[in-house]
Amino acid sequence: MPTVPLGWFVGVSAVLFFIGTAGVLMRRNAVVILMCVELMLNAANLALVAFSRRSASIDERGSVFVVFIFVIAAAEVAVGLAIILSAYRNQPTVDVDEMHRMKG
Amino acid sequence: MSFDVLELAFFGLLTVGIVSAAIGVVLANRITTAALLMAFTFLNVAGMFVLLGAETIAAFQVLIYVGAITVLILYGVMFTPQNPRAYALFFQRQTPWAALFVAPIGIFVAVYSLSFRDTATGTKGHDLEPLATSVFRDFGFPFEIASVLLLAAMIGAIVLVRREED
Repeated sequence: MPTVPLGWFVGVSAVLFFIGTAGVLMRRNAVVILMCVELMLNAANLALVAFSRRSASIDERGSVFVVFIFVIAAAEVAVGLAIILSAYRNQPTVDVDEMHRMKG
Repeated sequence: MSFDVLELAFFGLLTVGIVSAAIGVVLANRITTAALLMAFTFLNVAGMFVLLGAETIAAFQVLIYVGAITVLILYGVMFTPQNPRAYALFFQRQTPWAALFVAPIGIFVAVYSLSFRDTATGTKGHDLEPLATSVFRDFGFPFEIASVLLLAAMIGAIVLVRREED
């Protein structure tokens, strides 16, 4: 019995990405949309780590990209929540269908 | 070997956890439930990282995602109301077109991931040192850029939520 093939990890990552995309498209609450974007970023992390295990090289380039994605995700959540809160202050809703003040 | 069967069972358990918790995030009616299920998904992905032999990344995942980002999102949930109309329409007019575009991608990913049979290489449990070497030697400049980005995001978040009259 061999160990788990790397393709299975890629498959799980793809399924997680699809679910996150479906959440972004289906949910109308801005905070939930942010959560689903985090799920998609995490799926990308999983795929990157899985691919970085393919070659027997010494360096960990895939993991380095994952570290940078952690940074991006933290910045994205901080700024995204700040935007949601300031939009909520101007117009008391978090429903993205009702946020149309900046629509031309 | 019994260890490999154990690994396979662990993988299956983590997969079930990831997929069901992620579907829960999308379908949960209460936002707090969705946030906690999201934390559970992140924990399971950290388990996947351990299976892949990236223990350092798994530790970062638990610290940053399960710790920091979930708490931040829960703060966001606390400050905003839950809207009664949680979903958009499930089946809209563009569903056939969307299926037309998504189905080939899905089939490609399924075939690709099932045909990709390599197993993880490298010794497990020794990824901290290569990771640190990579980050600080080969990717030193991007690392500095990332730290400046974090600083900018922090200042930007503070400026965005500050009240005007202060």
